[in-house]
Amino acid sequence: MRDVQIADCGSTWTKILDLQTGALEVITTKELVRRRNARFEMATGHCGRGRGRIYRNELIALAEGGLALVKDKDFSLVDVGGRDIKFVRLAGRKVEKLDWNLACGSTTGATLELLGNYYDIDFRLLRPSERWVNVTCGVFGMERVLEQISLGSSPEESVAMFLHGLVRNVIDFIGRPEHFYLSGGFCENPCFLETAGRYCRVSPLGRAVLLEGLKKAIDPGKGLAFGARD
Amino acid sequence: MMSAPTDKVIGYYGFPRRSVLRETRRSFGPALPLVDLDVDRGAPDSGVLPGTTCRIIANIMDNAIELGGRLAAVVASVGEEKCDRGRHAAFLLERLGFTVIESRFPATELEDRPLVYSRARLALRDKVNRIMESVVDPSPAAVGFEPCAPTHGFWGVPPHDFRILDLFPPTTHAYGWVRCVEAGRPSDLELECAIDERVPTVFFTQSFCAKQELAHYLAEKHRGLAIDCHGEMNDSILAKVEAFLKLS
Repeated sequence: MRDVQIADCGSTWTKILDLQTGALEVITTKELVRRRNARFEMATGHCGRGRGRIYRNELIALAEGGLALVKDKDFSLVDVGGRDIKFVRLAGRKVEKLDWNLACGSTTGATLELLGNYYDIDFRLLRPSERWVNVTCGVFGMERVLEQISLGSSPEESVAMFLHGLVRNVIDFIGRPEHFYLSGGFCENPCFLETAGRYCRVSPLGRAVLLEGLKKAIDPGKGLAFGARD
Repeated sequence: MMSAPTDKVIGYYGFPRRSVLRETRRSFGPALPLVDLDVDRGAPDSGVLPGTTCRIIANIMDNAIELGGRLAAVVASVGEEKCDRGRHAAFLLERLGFTVIESRFPATELEDRPLVYSRARLALRDKVNRIMESVVDPSPAAVGFEPCAPTHGFWGVPPHDFRILDLFPPTTHAYGWVRCVEAGRPSDLELECAIDERVPTVFFTQSFCAKQELAHYLAEKHRGLAIDCHGEMNDSILAKVEAFLKLS
């Protein structure tokens, strides 16, 4: 029997879920791009078009994933990705507001990763900074980090300031709630969580929220689901 | 004696006074076709404006410069019904050697035409096209259009890239400046900001357009979705609108 896989193909990271085994595989999207024949039962994400038998809109997958994972009636959920920030606010478990930060503020997640790689920063150990730089977008934010380093700040402090600026952008973007649920790779970044915690309560949901949304969209009655094909 | 054929055209942008359009046609040739310079006609980038210019204003300049000597005149909407950048475009076109006739739509000439297309069950792309055609030909449609109850709203101006309009169902009502044009009231700010609060509405502007302030305010007030786009739509913008229409 062939595996049935669904995938969230983000700009920098791809999350693949095997619906039969429940195994979650996280690979870089540059690796996915090299897998020429990678096709999934259902896909979402910036790089997911053309890779799924069915393609699902990312914001819809996020909202449905949130509804699957969160039992609250009213809540805010934000996915901070490499390229963009996606946000839904639900009231009475219905979408009250949604937004998707595409242009200004974009690629800040990916830029943080690039900076971390360049300066050999272990984000598990990075300490939050009290200070921040304005992260208008990835490029402007990187320029601020280079400036801080030239002024004598350590790479760790400068990158933590970038991260702090990113956190402030996220919180402003989602309307400064008292509490929000977080989706995406930053759920595994203690510095991000601790920095965001300065402003409001944060509940990380992990990297598979959009996949939960895809799972919800697969209707076993229509033969799309688990083990339905050889 | 028949007059010699000509490839001359009269350009216009925004919503000029009908009397100014009429007078210009009388002066330069009633048979000359009218060309809406706001619209994307595939003209190459003229490079005369900064990159951070509203795409519609850039279209005006690019279209005019590509048409060059074919433009007998440009009727330029430069009053409150357009924007400062429209006024600046007229200033620049004149200095580039074009014959420019400025038009300011006075409050005394605001009309009160029936809103047929804005409220009709009709593809949004057709709605917007028919409304914009009414700038030069306000005669009623030959066939009737039944009004429908709105399921969604589109607020704003005709976009540079019409693909966004194809996402909306035919039961979408048109609001904002598009509706003002159909009513013959292009500078009526009250009408421009009037929407149906019960209807999930997308507030669209081009990036770097002054109407972004209104779109932001109205979207926040009515829990709609504010969208701005510079030039062509990308997949992410289309997906954002698609999600809003589906989830709202």
